[in-house]
Amino acid sequence: MIHPTTLLAAFDGSPVKAQLVHLNAVDIAVIAIYFAIVIYIGFYLKGSTNTSEEFFMAGREMTAWIAGLSFVSANLGSLELMGWAGSAYQYGILATHWYWIGAIPAMLFLGIVMMPFYYISRTHSVPGYLNLRFGEGTRGLSAICFAFMTVLMSGINMYSMAIVMKVVLGWDLNFSIWVSSITVALYVALGGLRSAIFNEVLQFLLIWLGALLIPILGLIECGGWNNLKTQIAHRMGTTDYMHLWSTTAHFRDNPMGIHWTGIVFGLGMVISFGYWTTDFLVVQRVLSANNLRSARMAPIIGAGFKMLVPFIVILPGLLALSVLPFHLVPQDVAVVTGQHSYNEVLPLMLVRYCGPGLLGLGVTALIAGFMSGMAGNVSAFATVWTYDIYGAFLNKKASDSHYVAMGRWCTFIGVLISVGTAYLVQHAASIMDYVQALFSFFIAPLFGTVILGMLWKRATKAGGFWGLLAGTGTAIGLWAWVRHDPGALRYVALSVDAKAMAEDMYRALWSWLVCVIVTIVVSYMTQPRPETELEGLVYGATKIPEEHDDHWYQKPIVWAGVIAATFIVLNIIFW
Amino acid sequence: MREPISIWFFSGVLFLIYGVIITAQGIWELSHPPAHPTVLFSLHASIWWGGLMAIGGLIYTIHFRPHRKQ
Repeated sequence: MIHPTTLLAAFDGSPVKAQLVHLNAVDIAVIAIYFAIVIYIGFYLKGSTNTSEEFFMAGREMTAWIAGLSFVSANLGSLELMGWAGSAYQYGILATHWYWIGAIPAMLFLGIVMMPFYYISRTHSVPGYLNLRFGEGTRGLSAICFAFMTVLMSGINMYSMAIVMKVVLGWDLNFSIWVSSITVALYVALGGLRSAIFNEVLQFLLIWLGALLIPILGLIECGGWNNLKTQIAHRMGTTDYMHLWSTTAHFRDNPMGIHWTGIVFGLGMVISFGYWTTDFLVVQRVLSANNLRSARMAPIIGAGFKMLVPFIVILPGLLALSVLPFHLVPQDVAVVTGQHSYNEVLPLMLVRYCGPGLLGLGVTALIAGFMSGMAGNVSAFATVWTYDIYGAFLNKKASDSHYVAMGRWCTFIGVLISVGTAYLVQHAASIMDYVQALFSFFIAPLFGTVILGMLWKRATKAGGFWGLLAGTGTAIGLWAWVRHDPGALRYVALSVDAKAMAEDMYRALWSWLVCVIVTIVVSYMTQPRPETELEGLVYGATKIPEEHDDHWYQKPIVWAGVIAATFIVLNIIFW
Repeated sequence: MREPISIWFFSGVLFLIYGVIITAQGIWELSHPPAHPTVLFSLHASIWWGGLMAIGGLIYTIHFRPHRKQ
């Protein structure tokens, strides 16, 4: 959910300075072993991906744990980690909101409320659900937007990886782009979604093992959490860096320039619900679960791990405030002075504590994060293209093996488009801003369409289509308005003190509201579908299968309650 | 005929290999300390972190090794 451009800006165009990390033979061996394993997994899984259900949906055989880890891992890319560690250095513990309120409630809502409808409808994708609920127009609109934005995002991810590898390791851009793209194309084309999921689970474990030493050793160096708080307060001259909510009563009281209403309603209710419940990249992982209970448990397990991620992302940023002997600076200053920028905080902390071997492990975790991000994008692209564009509009009656072949070719073509995008972005960085923005335009209104479709029987085909179109149009309009006249931000975010982060939150909120209002108004003006046609698609018209758990502690609702309670307690502790 | 290999087996093998390599590197550094040691080098994180990875990896490798189908 972070804009990679925010981080990339820290690397792209930087003055020439020594690479941050020097690898030795042991580190290179650690990286090489990772590549060997992932390619082997691709070849190994090829034998079990013969049907479209196996290739695109991993045979719907994943356990709750595998689907859950893959679900959370699809969002745990290296740019996220490095970007948010930098944000923690810059803004303090406020950055944690993107991991807690910006994820946990939405993930629990997906597991408890929405998953039954996705799963019972046996849809292959989110556009597929929209087709069942609102018809082909809405499906086409969402599928085309999603497919092209996803493959472009993959290219941006690829370019981001190449830039970071160049700055951190001194690797050549072309080498990084081609090695990563060939590897990803091989293992996704061979093993399909199952291969992507396996690698996401590996990546998740690698990130934890590679990054967990930083907070452990950092806290030892600082002398514990209380000493860390004291040292940061002393160094920064304020205690604002260590509070989640108490500084958000006004835009100017906190370094992010955000207000609690934006965090709660924009981030917590619209952006995060839009991303975690309707972005097919993450939802596809849960759809691969082996039964409804696993499908409901997967996002809940994911939420539990997501809640822990600040320990390896936010805490290193805070520790850097205390232990680094020099100050990190914003990108524009770093370009002029050659100092390190905020976003280099994670590699800097890695180098500080990790010697040969451990350093290779940390770098492998970063590479794995980038590659699994690309694989996630490419596998989701292949699914949506094959099922929701090619199979829905271009060739409706092909054989199953034809669709599998199309999926494999799509993977290669998707990777090639990504490579092309990576080179395009290299020569015109502004393209990246537009692609990022386009992606965000679509997610918030899509959540409005999907949630009304699932929870409101009266929502009609025309209502869904025009609501989605109007919401997306609103997001584009607001974005263009602020881009043309930066002063317009005061109207969009409702305050003269609002900053860029607040713009994203309020733009999402308004576009979602417009989508919901237009959907409701148009639905009341048009004829609803008979209730019998909504069976399995809408709350109130669907009989949810009863789950027969042997013990109370096996019920998804119990674990969702535990996660929710922990979430509330953590927010109070760090208030 | 063997049952399909679990992702946990792959994870176990990978971390077992990594654990052995990192622990060996840590032990080697006891007799050949680096010219520019990392902060808290005295804690020898490579040895215990690598050791933990190797033990965890070994447990997973054994527990999730593919069995012959009955």
